[in-house]
Amino acid sequence: MRLPIAALAMVMATAAPAFAANGDEPERQARWQDVSEAIFGDRPIEPGDELIAIEAPARAMDAALVPITLKVGRPEDVKAVHLVIDENPSPYAAHVRFGPAGDPSELRLRVRINGYTNVHAVAETSDGRLLETSVFVKAAGGCSAPIGVSDAEALQGAGQMKMKFGEMDRATLMIRHPNFSGMQMNQLTRTYTPARYLDQIKVSYGDQTVFELAGDISLSTDPVIGFGYDGSGEGPLTVQATDSDGSKWEGSFPAPVSTN
Amino acid sequence: MAPRAWLAAIVAAVTLASPALADSPTHVAEPAGLWTGVMVSETPRTLAGAEVIDVPALERLLAQKPLLIDVGPADRKPDNLSADVVWKPIHRSIPGTVWFPGAGPGDLPAAKAEALLRRVDELTNGNRSMPVVTFCQPRCWGSWNVGKRLVQAGYTSVHWLPAGVSGWQEANETVVVDPQPGWGPKPAASQGGS
Repeated sequence: MRLPIAALAMVMATAAPAFAANGDEPERQARWQDVSEAIFGDRPIEPGDELIAIEAPARAMDAALVPITLKVGRPEDVKAVHLVIDENPSPYAAHVRFGPAGDPSELRLRVRINGYTNVHAVAETSDGRLLETSVFVKAAGGCSAPIGVSDAEALQGAGQMKMKFGEMDRATLMIRHPNFSGMQMNQLTRTYTPARYLDQIKVSYGDQTVFELAGDISLSTDPVIGFGYDGSGEGPLTVQATDSDGSKWEGSFPAPVSTN
Repeated sequence: MAPRAWLAAIVAAVTLASPALADSPTHVAEPAGLWTGVMVSETPRTLAGAEVIDVPALERLLAQKPLLIDVGPADRKPDNLSADVVWKPIHRSIPGTVWFPGAGPGDLPAAKAEALLRRVDELTNGNRSMPVVTFCQPRCWGSWNVGKRLVQAGYTSVHWLPAGVSGWQEANETVVVDPQPGWGPKPAASQGGS
């Protein structure tokens, strides 16, 4: 009975992750160089671990639905955050600009991830500096993962919104929308469902902007966005959303009395 | 029972259980020829005339410098993607791989199928006994089909890696690869965009 044990030991030895990907490889750094230039041009991007952090699973359960939390250390200094999924074919997942009623301290999104990748968050300060941080996420196939129902079914109720209020002027917006990536193939007809995604989502509190989000095909089906707002003024929270086909939707949600 | 006897009992139990596993709902029989059904679905455990390998077996096989053939699809730019969207698709695979995106379908046009075999013939210098490995991702019939084509074309050391790039990258680094000339994403139906 020695042989199976020896064979098992050999398998375990060869399976040791001696060269496992961790995001530091020169090729992945070159990719970030390429992608960040396409998005930010020649603007310098500084290391920003002290200003911005990303919380994401090291290994995602579902590559089409990866939860990402962006946390900003000095929210009063930050006017926008950019989320970049380096190795996605369309890497610029979201650009969020905060308005006067915005609170950049914590933003939650759900995204699609196409393959093992660095995920970058770039904070843009009020004085125009760009500061970045990144995490490495193991997930694959999220952009082309089929939705599981027909296109028509997936579009039923598109634009329906829900708002869930939490404590301390925090809220979670849910918008029903398939956010078709254009990379999802109908397995039987072998045709691609055309891209159709939420490209602009604007949230306001009273007449003040909380944030404006420019989205992309990298946002998951039925986008869920967790955010904070300055609830010291008069509500309600209103939402204006448009998709890439030009459809527009609006929602209005009475906000609870501010707990601040 | 002594520890070794226990081990023997476990091995026996696993061996006896195997036929039952083969009748599980996910068991898929090999088609007689190439597979022309749904391309991303459960695949058979076998490929007649070829050896089915896992990642450790591939790591050992690499010493023999096999030809690595990836048939995973290329990301196709959506027809109606806004012109200002940054579109930069890349494909990562096992180092040393030759990539034939779109070579997987069983009903490949005859000219494409011939071009595939001609290119593999070049890359193997006409040596039908050179080890070749086909793969894409798990639940991918494309690599099964290309393995089948190579067996049918007389290659005698065909290996199929069902775990694909996903399995490889669990413990190994991948590299960015370009498609072989003539192979790429399906052309967009309309080039205009919005």
